[in-house]
Amino acid sequence: MRKKVKDLVPLKAQWFHVLLALGAGEAHGFGIRERVEERTGGAMKLWPATLYGTIRQLTERSLIEALEGDDDPDDDGRRRYYRLTAFGRQVLQAEADRLESLVRDARAARAVT
Amino acid sequence: MSGRRAVTVAERAYAWLLRGLPTSLVSQHGREARADFSRVVRAANESAGGTGVIRALVPAVLDVVRRIPVEHWHAHKERRAAGTNGSSGRNGLWRGEEVKDIVSELWRAARSLSRRPGYAGAAILTLGLGIGANVAIFTIVNSVLLRPLAYPDSDRMVQIRHHAPGLGLPELNNSPGLIQLYRDEARSLQSVTATNVHDANLTGGDRPARVRIVSADVEFFDVFATRPLIGRMFNADDVARDASPVAILMHDAWRSRFGGDPAVLGSRIELDGESTEVIGVMPEGFAYPDPSTVALVPAWLNVDEGFGAFGIRGLARLAEGSALESATAELEVLQGRIPDVWPDLQQTFLDQAGWAVSVNRLRDLTVKDIERALWVLFGTVGLVLLIAGANVANLFLVRAESRQREVAIRSALGASRRRLASTFMSESVLLGLGGGVVGSVLAWGGVRLMVASDLRGLPRLHEIGVDAAALAFGAALSVLAGLALGLMPMFGRQRDEMAMTLREGGRTATAGKGRYRARNLLIAGQVAMAVVLLASSGLMLRSVLRLSAVDPGLDPSGVLTVGVAWGNDRDREATTQFYDRVLEELAAIPGVESVGAINALPLDPISLNGGSFDIESAPRPDDAIPPTAMYSAVTPGFFETVSMDIIDGRYPERGDHLGGPPVVWISEQFARDHFVNGAIGERIRFGSDTIWADIAGVVSDVRTFGLREEMRLMAYYPLATTASADRSLMRFAVRARGDAAALLPSIRDAVARVDPNVPLTSARTMDDVVASSMAEMSFTVVLLAIAAAVALLLGAIGLYGVVSWVVAQRTHEMGVRIALGARPADVRTMVVRQGMIVTIAGIIAGLVVALGATRLLASLLYEVSAYDPLTFIIVPIVLFAVSLLAAWLPARRAAAVDPLTAMRVEG
Repeated sequence: MRKKVKDLVPLKAQWFHVLLALGAGEAHGFGIRERVEERTGGAMKLWPATLYGTIRQLTERSLIEALEGDDDPDDDGRRRYYRLTAFGRQVLQAEADRLESLVRDARAARAVT
Repeated sequence: MSGRRAVTVAERAYAWLLRGLPTSLVSQHGREARADFSRVVRAANESAGGTGVIRALVPAVLDVVRRIPVEHWHAHKERRAAGTNGSSGRNGLWRGEEVKDIVSELWRAARSLSRRPGYAGAAILTLGLGIGANVAIFTIVNSVLLRPLAYPDSDRMVQIRHHAPGLGLPELNNSPGLIQLYRDEARSLQSVTATNVHDANLTGGDRPARVRIVSADVEFFDVFATRPLIGRMFNADDVARDASPVAILMHDAWRSRFGGDPAVLGSRIELDGESTEVIGVMPEGFAYPDPSTVALVPAWLNVDEGFGAFGIRGLARLAEGSALESATAELEVLQGRIPDVWPDLQQTFLDQAGWAVSVNRLRDLTVKDIERALWVLFGTVGLVLLIAGANVANLFLVRAESRQREVAIRSALGASRRRLASTFMSESVLLGLGGGVVGSVLAWGGVRLMVASDLRGLPRLHEIGVDAAALAFGAALSVLAGLALGLMPMFGRQRDEMAMTLREGGRTATAGKGRYRARNLLIAGQVAMAVVLLASSGLMLRSVLRLSAVDPGLDPSGVLTVGVAWGNDRDREATTQFYDRVLEELAAIPGVESVGAINALPLDPISLNGGSFDIESAPRPDDAIPPTAMYSAVTPGFFETVSMDIIDGRYPERGDHLGGPPVVWISEQFARDHFVNGAIGERIRFGSDTIWADIAGVVSDVRTFGLREEMRLMAYYPLATTASADRSLMRFAVRARGDAAALLPSIRDAVARVDPNVPLTSARTMDDVVASSMAEMSFTVVLLAIAAAVALLLGAIGLYGVVSWVVAQRTHEMGVRIALGARPADVRTMVVRQGMIVTIAGIIAGLVVALGATRLLASLLYEVSAYDPLTFIIVPIVLFAVSLLAAWLPARRAAAVDPLTAMRVEG
């Protein structure tokens, strides 16, 4: 049973960052961790339990999917790659829009610069 | 711990912890998670070593611990979503509704705890410390004391010993003749074996090695109820005199030295220079007396020796159905046959000697030295858990207090008592389980650390490990702790009391008297337990100080000792020549100040001979009991090297030990006991030695058997003089200018120049030898001291917490008092006084308990009374001072209350 986009926003911070990381192209778990860490300047470190817990929830909601059949045999199959689904991209876009409008509101109220 | 090892340990711990996550998640992503963690931890190790590993491990572990409840909740929701159409309703033990209630209650508790991470963290960590300490010690107690030895039916295995206190020989093993007598006559013993443990040179490989060998006879395999894995047992031909040498390898040695190849059967190894055929391999896990044993060799039992030499360890297996007591009784009766079997022994002599036999279970003898210490430690960590529990209980009560309104409202809205209880219960159970998880991890690490640090004096070390029993023990502790905590706030609370709380609206400034009483009791109890632990560790500490103040009789600093094993010393001449050349080579090493050797190193005598002796100038009557002493073989230079003083006479010289006229040195006490008018020039002779030797000097006493042991009379023979001192291994002592330990490579080369086939053994500084003489006591002291420090800290935190809480609750009252003219100092004194009354009550109760409890320690103490006044004065003072500080800090805050602010709080 697929949910609607608006049921999923606002996104949890980790969800947002994982989606954002995959928005730049497919990656394996450790790659996601590295991208997130880089993007946030080290402020968000996704340790494995949180990372894969998040990946599983995102997969279940069809926001991302694992690439099948692309396993490197030398790699023990450990490095499974993930990519954003079309639905995931919609959700990411919706969240970005929401954040943008929040910032716009804040600026309009002259609360921030 | 090396970095790589740390990485492996961290990886394993992490993998183990991951199993706490729901299976659905682990099966899907477990491998990725482990691989990612490995990557992180390896990189961390590469860049920052061991600390890097810890810095990576801690957040990763916290991450998993934090996710465990979250992921289980998700998995639960998923299952529920999947099962709504199915039949997951009533067919289980619990109705679906109840499960849902429990789960949602737990979930609510988890969320509410996660909103107060400080409180939850403190509680879980405190409980974790307590539970961890208990699981760790339980693991040791279980592995060492409770689990039977690793042989089939090991309860039936006994060791036979003899005693002759009248001869100054409180403990004797067995002679071949007696073993034969028991074998023939004792019906309560199914089989009796004569074994011995000795060291031998294993040569022929790439490097000569000194290895541990167990000699055994045919019945050995019956006593141990163990057969070789491959090959055969010893037979009657093997144990005959002059049989061709054979050996059975231990499993470990077979694997490490022969690659586990079955073709080893029939091949030859060289033991003490003798070509020996390998005829079998013992099964894996067989480790007698410990895993360092490399091989079994046949023991030839010389039964014609008469009553004989008592050098044999006698082990036996009780006959089916016969008890230890009946075996003891039967052997006691058999002692009466001794004069019949050996007519030259008179019953009167045996009576004078106080001759006796004893039979003990092998397990009891294996663990006897450590048993008391382990039980004491187990009791100690039990107390620590109680203290930790009391602390958490305090936190929990404070929290329950602050939730009174919530409880009252829910109660008024009709929530059942049971439902309310389950609110507290689910929170406390979660705390307990969290503590259990943290504790298990701590225990696992702690036990690994203890085993890795190779504690001397702990038997069965290789069998110790956290197992299912220990984890079950930890789980039981955490559930119990959780339940006990959860029951506390509900205890004695009535529905109408809750209604009252609601009416009061929490406006009164003070809590009910009952609350105070409960909390004060907890604090007093904590203080009392801290007194008990501090007193115990104080006594042990005093013992260690006393022991380290014992003068070993020599100066260990700057001396390196190393064993040089010539092996068999059948050729006396060659043996003496060999050691003499080693002495020369060592003395020639640059930086060596002096060098000497002895076969029985003081404080660590591997082999030591002893027996009765005669004094030429004072012949003793035939029926008198001869005096006894120990003797060893010594080279010139040894006394000088370890700074043993010559009290009278001269030092040994080279001529003495290469075969001049027979001379001997005796210890100071020897001289005092037997030669009142001066010993020099007197002549003595030990039993089997037919040579009379002149006493050439008197040497200062040393603690040959260890710091704790009684001084014994000692005689020292030059290498050439005595026929019977065992010279197969001599311990060389080297005193160097500068760091003696740095000389080891040159020493190795020097010995190899004399004979490349001779192995070096046990290279240790003399300081280390002295230190390990106290090792067993240090083990107990370290653990007790840690426990006491934790107890003191937890007690102080508890008191601090309670006084702070009281101050916070009474802010209004304080404000009123100050507004009415009380000086800050008065307020401070009042608060401190209340805290200290509780402390003093606890101290008094603790002292009473401690005076009883420390008696259990008596056998572990050294020259310190279990009622040592100094300890019992200092401990209360320390506790008083720490408590004063813990109470004073919050009191200062109370005195600084601004009356206006305080009143406003009320409004």
